[in-house]
Amino acid sequence: MSGYLADQAFIPAHHQPAVLIDLIHDQGIDLNRLLRHTGLFQQQILSGEARLSPHGWLQLIHNARRLFPDPELSFRYGQRLFPGHYGAISALLGNAGNLRDALMVFTGFSKLAFPLLGARLTVTDRHLCLHWLDSCGNGSEHRFVVEAAMAGLASVTRWLSGERLPWAFQFRHARPSYPEQYQVHLGDTLYFDGQLDAMILPRRYLDIPWPGASTIAWQAAKQQCQPQLDSLAGGDSFRLYLYRQLLQNVASPPSLQQLANPLQCSPATLKRRLRDQGCHYQQLLDQARLHQAIHWLQFHDYSTDQVARQLNFSDSTNFRRSFKRWSGLTPAACQRALAATMGSLYPA
Amino acid sequence: MKQTLFLHRWPLLVLLLLANAVLLANLAAGEPKSWAAITWLDIAGEGGAAFLSLLWIGLILNSRPAGRVTRLLVAGLIAIFVAYWQDVLDEVIALPATVTWDHWLESGAMPLGMILLTLGIYHWHREQQAITTQLRKRERIFREHRRFDRLTSLNGAPYLREQLAMELRHREQPVALIMLDLHCFDHSRRLLGSADSDRLLQELAELLLLNLRHNDLLCRYAGDRFAVVLPRTGHALAQALADELQQAVASFAFKTRRGETHHVQVMHGLSVSFEDSADTLIDRANHSLLQARPDQPRVA
Repeated sequence: MSGYLADQAFIPAHHQPAVLIDLIHDQGIDLNRLLRHTGLFQQQILSGEARLSPHGWLQLIHNARRLFPDPELSFRYGQRLFPGHYGAISALLGNAGNLRDALMVFTGFSKLAFPLLGARLTVTDRHLCLHWLDSCGNGSEHRFVVEAAMAGLASVTRWLSGERLPWAFQFRHARPSYPEQYQVHLGDTLYFDGQLDAMILPRRYLDIPWPGASTIAWQAAKQQCQPQLDSLAGGDSFRLYLYRQLLQNVASPPSLQQLANPLQCSPATLKRRLRDQGCHYQQLLDQARLHQAIHWLQFHDYSTDQVARQLNFSDSTNFRRSFKRWSGLTPAACQRALAATMGSLYPA
Repeated sequence: MKQTLFLHRWPLLVLLLLANAVLLANLAAGEPKSWAAITWLDIAGEGGAAFLSLLWIGLILNSRPAGRVTRLLVAGLIAIFVAYWQDVLDEVIALPATVTWDHWLESGAMPLGMILLTLGIYHWHREQQAITTQLRKRERIFREHRRFDRLTSLNGAPYLREQLAMELRHREQPVALIMLDLHCFDHSRRLLGSADSDRLLQELAELLLLNLRHNDLLCRYAGDRFAVVLPRTGHALAQALADELQQAVASFAFKTRRGETHHVQVMHGLSVSFEDSADTLIDRANHSLLQARPDQPRVA
């Protein structure tokens, strides 16, 4: 077992996908049109038997957007998503004792909580950063998925903590034509055209105890969730599992052959399976290196030379060229943009 | 489709009966023409006109609720159809010269239909004026039905920007903008559930409309945030109006489906134009709202 696949039907259709189905149904839209090409039937969902693959879910999102082209849809969907009624994982999230516990649901159990995106948490002295990662090749629906996930997390943490957390939001996409939706549903601290889809908060919020949580229920829920994860990849998708392998050894990244070994398959097979997930080795490697470089620049105040050394680049010219290829920006320009972002965040 | 047919069964029945009656009367009184005597161009022209009038009847019935205006429009179009129908039948059936009712049908039904249609359009115009008065605070000067927000049938942020830009062209007169935000709507939404919280926004929109002046405009900015454009209004007056809105909402006792009362509060932000573009005016109002929010850390 090495992570779930984009076309593997394991998501109960009456869980997260049903929230979108309900939302569209409330608008008086014909459900048969919404379910087109998803392989789902109304009766089957109601019986609780239907399972959907991440691709099927993305198709559902595609249909929903076409039938109800309202920019508010993703945010309203997100706000209804969590903690939800998805069995043990909802109990785990609902009984989180603090923000750290709640974020663990998304970083460690994304297969159960929100299979379309994985998450990586970075904690420094001053900040915490939750970086959302594409799990299944979300393609043209990625923006919708990110909007929903961020609105969902912002809403559920506000509900469980009892206060409005001053999240800052960073997006890879450009400023959309409907900034008002971001402003009202997320908050006023928004950065577009960035390198990561991430949410940032001062670190002190991480361990403030939340009211209404039960430690026993949380432990029990965790015990129930654990067996549903993969032995090798945990709560990650196959694509994300490989990404994390590369990220963990980003200075001397494993080759395709080395990645294939623990999976007991040939490099050619691994290559084919990656292609089925909408990516390839070089792309994942570039992503891992870019993301790590950004983390060092943004949260650890590394200089570009330090980053180049850490990533094992022989000379800085080479690094600058590579960085430009990954991000479209020179490291210096990127560093300036990040410094501007971090400087305006929570001024001391 | 079935429902539409059932709703308009009477006009459709009358149309069918008239068309049949005219056909039967023609067949009874005259003889079919020989193929050579038929002018196809005339049939195409008159038949096309008859067909188009049928299409208009279909469109009108499909798009309008039943009522007096609809009846007049359809009656007029039916008369016009009958005139054209007789025209078409004239081309294929030769009537003896002693028959005169066909001329009456052709030349009489047409003006009658025109008169009925004119009456219908006149009343339609009056009806539209009444609707416009009702909609006045929701849309001004021009209509763009694609921009309507489905939840509250108010206009959204794009329309707000257009209207503000239009108002701001009159530099000499100030324009005020109020932003209203529900206090802890996130919380309300989880307590009330989606159906009730959607209805809360709808009813709130109605309440706000009732408290506006004739020329003010209410838009739904996004989510639970509403925007009010106050043309030719200075700061003091705008502040007074904003306070009135806030008070009106404070005494609003929303009822859930189970009949429980749910009180809500709004906070407001305010900006008055001063060398502004639509975007900066909106930004300043939003910023002022942010300062008013007790649950929001103050950002420099």
